[in-house]
Amino acid sequence: MKLYITENGAKGANTVVPDDMILTKTMPTSAGSKMLEGYQGLFDAEVITRLTNAGYEIGGKVNVGEFSIDLLGESSYFGACTDENGVLTSAAAEVLKTGDIKAVVAMDVNGMPRRAAALSGMVYIKPTYGTVSRYGTIPVACSGETVGVMARNTADCREILAAMAGHDDKDGTSLSEEQCAAVKTAGAPIKKVAVLQSLVNAADADTQARITAVCDALKAQGVEICTVDDDVCKAASPAWNVLLSAELCNNVSRYDGIKFGYRTPNYTNIDELYTNSRTEAFGLLLKTAILYGSDALSTENYMNVYDKALRIRRVICEAFAALFAQYDALLLPACSKTAYKTEEVGTYTAVEEALFTAPASISGLPVVAAGGVQLMGKAFSDDSLLTLAALYE
Amino acid sequence: MMTTETLQRLEKLNQLCLTDAEKDTITAFFNQQADVFLALNQINTENTERMVHVMPILTVVREDREIKLFTRDELQESAPETYDGYWQVPRLIE
Amino acid sequence: MKYETVIGLEVHIELATESKIFCSCSAKFGGEQNDHVCPACCGMPGMLPVVNKRVVDLGMTAGMMLNCKINRTTTFDKKSYYYPDLPCSYQTTQWFAPVCVNGAVEIETSKGKKTIRIKQIHMEEDAGKLVHDDWTDTSLVDFNRTSVPLIEIVSQPDLSSAEEVVAYLERLRTLLRFAKVSDCRMEQGSMRCDVNLSIRPEGSDKLGVRTEMKNMNSISAITRAIDYEVARHIDALENGTEELVQETRRWDDIKGKSYSMRNKETAGDYRYFPDPNIMPVVIDDAWYQRICDSLPELPELKKQRYITELGLSEYDAEQLTQSRAFCDCFEDAYAVCGMAKEAANWLISDCYNILNKKQQTADMLRISGKALGELIKLVAEDKVSRGNAKKILSVMFEQDIDPLAYATENGFIVSNDTGAIEETIQRIVAADPKSVADYKSGKEKALMALFGKCMKELKGNCNPQVLREMLLKCIENA
Repeated sequence: MKLYITENGAKGANTVVPDDMILTKTMPTSAGSKMLEGYQGLFDAEVITRLTNAGYEIGGKVNVGEFSIDLLGESSYFGACTDENGVLTSAAAEVLKTGDIKAVVAMDVNGMPRRAAALSGMVYIKPTYGTVSRYGTIPVACSGETVGVMARNTADCREILAAMAGHDDKDGTSLSEEQCAAVKTAGAPIKKVAVLQSLVNAADADTQARITAVCDALKAQGVEICTVDDDVCKAASPAWNVLLSAELCNNVSRYDGIKFGYRTPNYTNIDELYTNSRTEAFGLLLKTAILYGSDALSTENYMNVYDKALRIRRVICEAFAALFAQYDALLLPACSKTAYKTEEVGTYTAVEEALFTAPASISGLPVVAAGGVQLMGKAFSDDSLLTLAALYE
Repeated sequence: MMTTETLQRLEKLNQLCLTDAEKDTITAFFNQQADVFLALNQINTENTERMVHVMPILTVVREDREIKLFTRDELQESAPETYDGYWQVPRLIE
Repeated sequence: MKYETVIGLEVHIELATESKIFCSCSAKFGGEQNDHVCPACCGMPGMLPVVNKRVVDLGMTAGMMLNCKINRTTTFDKKSYYYPDLPCSYQTTQWFAPVCVNGAVEIETSKGKKTIRIKQIHMEEDAGKLVHDDWTDTSLVDFNRTSVPLIEIVSQPDLSSAEEVVAYLERLRTLLRFAKVSDCRMEQGSMRCDVNLSIRPEGSDKLGVRTEMKNMNSISAITRAIDYEVARHIDALENGTEELVQETRRWDDIKGKSYSMRNKETAGDYRYFPDPNIMPVVIDDAWYQRICDSLPELPELKKQRYITELGLSEYDAEQLTQSRAFCDCFEDAYAVCGMAKEAANWLISDCYNILNKKQQTADMLRISGKALGELIKLVAEDKVSRGNAKKILSVMFEQDIDPLAYATENGFIVSNDTGAIEETIQRIVAADPKSVADYKSGKEKALMALFGKCMKELKGNCNPQVLREMLLKCIENA
């Protein structure tokens, strides 16, 4: 069980720990991959600079699945993270359980930190896309990935998010200072929540019970709960998988054994250098995603697969916009099956788990995972979502 | 259906070389995903514009100003092989 | 059978910017290997692309010069392939919505005028450079050129001979240099050309097998390559010497042959897709207008105006309008001194000579036109002699000076003090009775010698006419 990739010793109530996707100039960043084992980035990610400037100590660095695309944490080159029963868990959640740090700053590429938080009683916020700079993070699925915070409670999440959010000229997708400010100022209270029933129906009994419990707790606090049945949410997962895989395929093509990172000892010409370096350094899950993404972008499939996924993205965003005209937030599961053991895991074992995490990934909307469920809101409602989660945490 | 030829072309295009076992796993995954994706065709997107960016911001540009961030030595610290300030690779036939 | 040649060109032009297209590294030519490089342009993860606004300005400028329609919303896309000079293994370019489309330029050859249509102009990043090293038997990678901004100008297949291709390239070069889009120096690679060529029986409307020749770096090499390729195609069709296939070929100018390039970019599926990190660039009316307003007058219109409005000779006007820098300097100088012919002369002869000595081209002229105008005025008003003015001009090539202030500080002002001139003349005449006697006995040369001595003594600061008259008077009285 590998929690930390590098340990710089920083601990304490003032310490924030980045995951292995976030560049730090004093610690290597390896993205959970043999390809980047020991890779020393030259600069601090913008979020690290902001946290340092705000007076936080930076500890580190927490293990992630290879390029953070798995949903179970099984694919790290440095070893999967499991609990004492051999059940897969997340390194970020485990280090928080020890209690000696304040929060983990974790990239949300494919929803893994949300699932992990939901399963381990932690809180994770994936903020509105564009409000936290991605400068200095390992790029994977740039159109939807976001830097978020995992902590033991909503108050710590709010505090760290406030320190990280803000406009950054170095990130061309960064929103204006005004828009970013919206996520760190007190938002309007959420009064009306809709449960996404089609997703609840797809989850296991444990998860459904948790949804019911949260609904009861919110009702007790005077929040109105409704049920909506919008099947289009189910399209998010396959569409996001296409977008994620295609962007990943392109983004990890830079790892070729030439400029930095792993170089195979087995080569006599440039093609062998490329192929053997990549083949020896990448895990099966990553290889699968690369090929899947490449296929989606091929001349034959581009219109039917990639372009289709981009259009589905708009259909989904429009469906959410319509829901947010009536409701302040949506309640949905964070996972289906809760416990996977390492020996059960094959390629994309957990692909069906993305059914619950993909809606927020593909739309860039803010989402809070807490109490075993997800609360998703319209853009810039981040603070309101944290307040809502605080009602039952 | 994912064919052996297509998979081979994809491997080559992405500079990867799979074992037979990996090929089987990946082929199975492709076929399973194809079925899942098929369901998406039920959603009519004929009159829907593609959405690349989720946030509607436009025209993010910077002024044309030169800034030097790092030295060559710093950039080549993590290089597998360099020679005389160049990154070095096996000879390419011109 | 008679054949006709069908040629389309893809011309890559490096834009004249300070920094690269997506990062802030220097975009200047040259430099130590891998000195103009940052994590982004050597493929390291973490930095994000932010578009250099000047690149869009210059892309639009090029489009307007070539009569293109400007796409008011233009986007960037990624193109994937593996090659060691491409550090990210993708190139960011424009595939779906290039900045300019549907243009046209007029060319003139021995056969008359012809319009060449432009399909599109797109902005993109350049690749790095590979050096093949015999000593280590390896290839060495230099990323200085990586991400230097380029535009690619894609023509329709409207060209039909090497002569037309040359005329087209020269026309592009003139227009883009005039608009300061690029210095278009083929020998430094800031203008490169891919030639798509096929032949077909005259009158046929079916295109033949097309071959592409990449990266030619001189006009004469392009001519030779086209002639060779046409002959090869005809030979293949007539004599069956080989089967023509659609392929990319490399031109070896030393051997005078083209070769198949099977190993580079043969996989062929570039998997273009929109770059999620670069937002669409929307060109609003104000931006569009700003670029319209910045366009230069076309060289041929300028030339006509110089002749009809400013009274320059055809020759002078032609010489000046070879270069935008000369035109700008000329117009600024004329605005100050109001003497067109004089200003033209100073540029065409004096400035040109200095540039020649420095082994610089006309476009590299950097002196202030305003200062040149001041200098011309000083000469016209007899305040500085022409000889001294030339010395001041040389200084103007090295530093920014005010001609009057410089002339004053360095004693180049023509003296009006006739007493001092008189005194000098008398001293020199008195010291050289032999020359005086020689002159009186009819030797003209002796007068020149005395005149020269006086001028030297006066450091040139004397009106030659005045000096001559005073000298003659003094000799008469001697």
